[in-house]
Amino acid sequence: MLDADVEVDRREFTVRVALQVASGERLALFGPSGAGKTTLLEAVAGLVQPRRGRISLGDRILTSTAPPVRAIPPWQRRVGLLRQDPGLFPHLSVRDNLCYARSAPRSEAELSSLVSVLGIDGLLTAMPARLSGGQAHRVALGRLLLAQCDTLLLDEPYTGLDASLRRSLTDLVSSLVAERSVPSILVTHELTDAQAFADRLAVLDRGEVLQVGAPNELVLRPASRRVAELIGYLGFVPSGDAMAGVHPERVVAGAFADRGLVLTGTVVAFRPAGAGWEADLRVGEETITFRLLDRPPSPEEQLVFTALNPPYFGADGNAISPARVTSGHTRPEQVH
Amino acid sequence: MSAWVSVVGAGVIWLALLGPVIALLTHLSGNAIANALTAPGALDPLVTSVESGLVTLGVLFVLCTPLAWMLARGRLPFPRVWETGVLCSLLLPPLVIGLLLVFMVGPYTPIGQLLAHLNQSATNTFLALVIAEVYESAPYYVLGAQAAFASVEPRLEQQAGLLGDRPRRVFRRVTLPLAAPGLAMALSIAWARAMGAFGAVIIIAYHPAGLPLQIYTTLQETGLASALPYALVLLVVALPLPLAAYIWSARAGRRRRG
Repeated sequence: MLDADVEVDRREFTVRVALQVASGERLALFGPSGAGKTTLLEAVAGLVQPRRGRISLGDRILTSTAPPVRAIPPWQRRVGLLRQDPGLFPHLSVRDNLCYARSAPRSEAELSSLVSVLGIDGLLTAMPARLSGGQAHRVALGRLLLAQCDTLLLDEPYTGLDASLRRSLTDLVSSLVAERSVPSILVTHELTDAQAFADRLAVLDRGEVLQVGAPNELVLRPASRRVAELIGYLGFVPSGDAMAGVHPERVVAGAFADRGLVLTGTVVAFRPAGAGWEADLRVGEETITFRLLDRPPSPEEQLVFTALNPPYFGADGNAISPARVTSGHTRPEQVH
Repeated sequence: MSAWVSVVGAGVIWLALLGPVIALLTHLSGNAIANALTAPGALDPLVTSVESGLVTLGVLFVLCTPLAWMLARGRLPFPRVWETGVLCSLLLPPLVIGLLLVFMVGPYTPIGQLLAHLNQSATNTFLALVIAEVYESAPYYVLGAQAAFASVEPRLEQQAGLLGDRPRRVFRRVTLPLAAPGLAMALSIAWARAMGAFGAVIIIAYHPAGLPLQIYTTLQETGLASALPYALVLLVVALPLPLAAYIWSARAGRRRRG
């Protein structure tokens, strides 16, 4: 169990986070750039000193600003940190990189079994400069695993890698975390990466955790308008005395009052996107982005569409129950 | 076409830089070299120069490497003040450094008196020669070593720490090996400066004479023709170390690229 309750001062704001990650649990920290995600990982790793707080890992207290004061140095923490730059030692071969930590087992059998799980057989004598991005990440991951770290912190490790490689590395990390039963945290600003990895998702913005929950719960029921914006709700339209959040992927063409909020809008712009098209619709004062899969829209076309089971937000920005929206057309129990 | 132009251009500049060496070789005769090298005690300055140069390198490596590392890693308060200090010693003409060293370590100074207590002296001794060479070459080594350390990614040191290494072990296993090619270059430049040191040397270490002083005194006493062979000796003796450093650095770079 990793337990962190810290306040770390940064130039613009203070990062205030209290999180617990159980052994074998995978938590994704999701938020925009500069939200303080990396700062939190660095505090756990002992690279930055919190102004106030307590961090414990298993039965070891790593940081405590209250008496008895503790600040275990990074080299005694057994915290594995994998960053976007794999950070392989360029003067050492892949084998020497893997076995760098003194805590790494010296048994050839363990090394070779990990090497084959990671899919880096045949690279042991190569120098890091010869590796592709994906191979370098696998070696860096293997190095952390061989170092017998008690927790695995992944700081946007897959940025710059292609989607299929990200997916296979995510699956690999997930299975290894489960096997080793260590707590792990993935920091990312890509929601799909967070969803693919995590049991639990925490949304961080300007140093504060806005919401923690199961990945789908957060996407379908954001607790506030800010969380909705961060998670990809691109439009907000008035509905009665509330605002309904419209997610471009949770919109269907046509009027289905029993499935959500029916809206009418005028196409103001469109472009190819993914397997279909993306159109910007003007709905009253608001602009809604909407994915069409079957045909490109025409300019100035009037489209009737349904925002599926949208979340509603009150004037203060907090989510309110659809039942309390005075003229919403929703059936909240129905989720498609 | 343009490739040829640049090769020819580089060649012209290279030959121009080599001009003095070419002039040296064309003004030497076999006889003069033989006479110069067989004169009694002719090779003593050579031995003195190599010995003092090696001791200087040792002193620089031990004393100045930590300073360069701290400068590169921003571990010192008011870093510009420290850098300015290094630059000052670089900017002073060696002759002036020699004159000021007399004020600093001369026989009538506290340091000179302390040395006298220990039956040592920092004027006209091997110690004086090493001191002069250290002062002439140290800023070159510090600046080169600082650049070598600055080229080592701090993230790598951080990663080594997270993998369980204490700072001293990180320095030995990561920082030093990664900075080594740059440090070797900095040491070879310092070596060249130490071997050619003359300005400060002539003031505080007229004895025991190294090669540059031997060239100067021979020029004064018997003329250019008999002084020139010692310049060739200086080149031949000083060249292998930096050359080896260049070759070793290039090999380390090739090995890293796989």
